[in-house]
Amino acid sequence: MVNQRLMKGTIHWLLTVLVIIYLLTGFGITEYRIVEPLTFGLLTKSLAQKIHISLEIPFIILLILHIWLLPLLKYFKSKKLGNK
Amino acid sequence: MRKAMTSRGILFLVLSLILLAALIFAVDMACDETEELAPSEIREYEGEELSSINSFRENSIKGPQEIDVESYTLRITGLVTNSTSYTYDEVLNRHQHYKKVVTLDCVEGWSVTILWEGVLVRDLLAEAGPLANAEVVIFHAFDGYTTSLPIDYIMDNDILMAYKMNDVTLPPERGFPFQLVAESKWGYKWIKWITEIELSDDANYRGYWESRGYSNSADLDKSFFGD
Repeated sequence: MVNQRLMKGTIHWLLTVLVIIYLLTGFGITEYRIVEPLTFGLLTKSLAQKIHISLEIPFIILLILHIWLLPLLKYFKSKKLGNK
Repeated sequence: MRKAMTSRGILFLVLSLILLAALIFAVDMACDETEELAPSEIREYEGEELSSINSFRENSIKGPQEIDVESYTLRITGLVTNSTSYTYDEVLNRHQHYKKVVTLDCVEGWSVTILWEGVLVRDLLAEAGPLANAEVVIFHAFDGYTTSLPIDYIMDNDILMAYKMNDVTLPPERGFPFQLVAESKWGYKWIKWITEIELSDDANYRGYWESRGYSNSADLDKSFFGD
């Protein structure tokens, strides 16, 4: 039960952080004339684009886990109980 | 209680970000709304559907440039036998005009298919007489932007320097007086507001975006990051 809660919390937070980075890097690509000076030149357009692209797969995986993890765990748990 | 507060905090953060995104989008749209470009553009050419000249995203380094056609000159410099300089009318009147439909693919993920009309860069270079050691053609723009392409690419392909798109003279925001139609290359090679074409032997030259991590070859069938 604790593990389930920990897992849920971890996915939840990871997804939140990832969504924020995804949005910021998205702006870093399309609004680079604003974002680059705001980040003191740290988040350049090319860097933003590299990060943005590399986050696509982790984002999808985390989103799927976020949506399906609990229902799946519940399903397996009920199946396990049913077998008993 | 703590959990509820954390959830509320996350919700607030996410909503704030969405609001910020909506605000930037709204400001962007409001800025775009007032621009009314020439109404006479064509949207189909020989059975091929064309994008609108309003379909581009404005992503130049210093925003749209206003160039005075009366004082404008296009210079051909560097490793040439005759450094030359043309007015806008001289470029148009002294050279053969060509038309072709080419798609511009931007690294940001959007693309536009446009009927381009212009002169061949090859013709301009031929008049200036490239020296044997010229390897690279460096294009300079009015806003300080630069990009380069191998001279072989320019000479072996029909690369246009366009003055019209979809039968309409390029508007300032699309690169008036001239935009390069660097077909089969990523969008950052399609330099706008061209003021100078320089021939160089510096094969390692990197333009504005190329020196910031984008590929120098910029081939469409390859990644835009890397060499």
